[in-house]
Amino acid sequence: MTTLTDRYVHAATRTVHDRQRAELDRELRERIGDAVDARLAAGDGLTPADAEVAALTELGDPERLAARYVDRPLYLIGPRLYLDWLRLVKLLLAIAVPITTGVVIFAGLIGGGTVGDAVVNGLATGFSLAVNLAFWVTVVFAIIERTPARSTALTTWTPARLPELPKSRQVSRVDLILSIVFLVVAIGALVWQQFTVDRPGGEFTPILDPALWAFWLPYLIAVLVAEIVFTALLYRNRHWNWWFAAVNIVLNAAFAIPVVWLASTGQLFNPELFDRVGPDADGVRTVLTNLVIGAAVIIAIWDSVDGFVKAWRAQRDEVPAAGA
Amino acid sequence: MGTDETTASHLQELRRGTVVLGCLMRLRTPDYGYALLESLNGIGITVDANTLYPLLRRLEKQGLLTSEWNTDEARPRKFYSTSPAGDRLAAELTADWHRIDQALTRLTTGDER
Repeated sequence: MTTLTDRYVHAATRTVHDRQRAELDRELRERIGDAVDARLAAGDGLTPADAEVAALTELGDPERLAARYVDRPLYLIGPRLYLDWLRLVKLLLAIAVPITTGVVIFAGLIGGGTVGDAVVNGLATGFSLAVNLAFWVTVVFAIIERTPARSTALTTWTPARLPELPKSRQVSRVDLILSIVFLVVAIGALVWQQFTVDRPGGEFTPILDPALWAFWLPYLIAVLVAEIVFTALLYRNRHWNWWFAAVNIVLNAAFAIPVVWLASTGQLFNPELFDRVGPDADGVRTVLTNLVIGAAVIIAIWDSVDGFVKAWRAQRDEVPAAGA
Repeated sequence: MGTDETTASHLQELRRGTVVLGCLMRLRTPDYGYALLESLNGIGITVDANTLYPLLRRLEKQGLLTSEWNTDEARPRKFYSTSPAGDRLAAELTADWHRIDQALTRLTTGDER
């Protein structure tokens, strides 16, 4: 009758600190012995071996039992630390992962690799950083959970930490006016560059190739007009949604892709412009071209992502906003 | 099934504190775990072994019980008894118990002020 009990007591006490082990060992033997005796005394015709099995079954998992006896937590991170842990993980992931991914992609592009390689490297680095951050933060919190003097939360909550209510209008009038002013100025600039006064004689040297007036410049102006209409419709709808985000991407692509193509194939700038620059015309042309490509790509991506983030926020806040 | 489980969990919650009080009062005469379990259940304070044994340890750690090993019989047994601090706590808990009882009585007789 001893073997099962011995094994049970061993399993329960082996993870307990030395100081408590002998005492817990003795207490468990008393408890098991009394429970077995009680079952035998009940006289249901049990053999001592059956009674022992039944008593140990009632005690349950020895490690769980030991944890209850010595007040050890049976969870990795408990209710006292959980919210601090969750907020810290979210904060770190939201800040560190996008920045690192962006920096690695940017470094890959500058380093002269292909766009595909740069993106794959960036995403892989971002992913492994995310996994590492979550893991190590969790390890630290699990250790804090197991250190003594665990009575209060790490941070104290005050009403000042309450989040703002969602705005009843996501797209403000200021947003509308700024966007339209920007788009009108952009259209004006496309026209104005044609009439840049460049020499005392009063002759005009357009910045962009005048040949583009055949199709591409009217096209780009039409896209900008379409963006003004889009902005007005967005203002009327008060909130972003997935449709607006999708159309926003189409409009951004419709503008940025032709600009990048024209610039990289050397069709964008007026060749006469560089004739006037002097000996370093090629250098100036390269810098200008890269500047235009970089700006077009960054603005288009930024604006597209921004639209999706705002659409996501709008549908996330939909329920409270409806009640407000 | 839902109602039965709800009832059971509320009953368990209501009785949780009374087990502590029952132990502190009952252990004014020293006794060991299994005998205490039997006698508490015998007088109608329902508690199971998985709750009682860890509870005894916790009360001892808080200085409300003292313990001593009795090795007179073949099986060594740990005898617990209520300490002076445990006595004081028992008195306070009993007083509170009566206050709650009076308040609930007022509610049932419709005599609340």
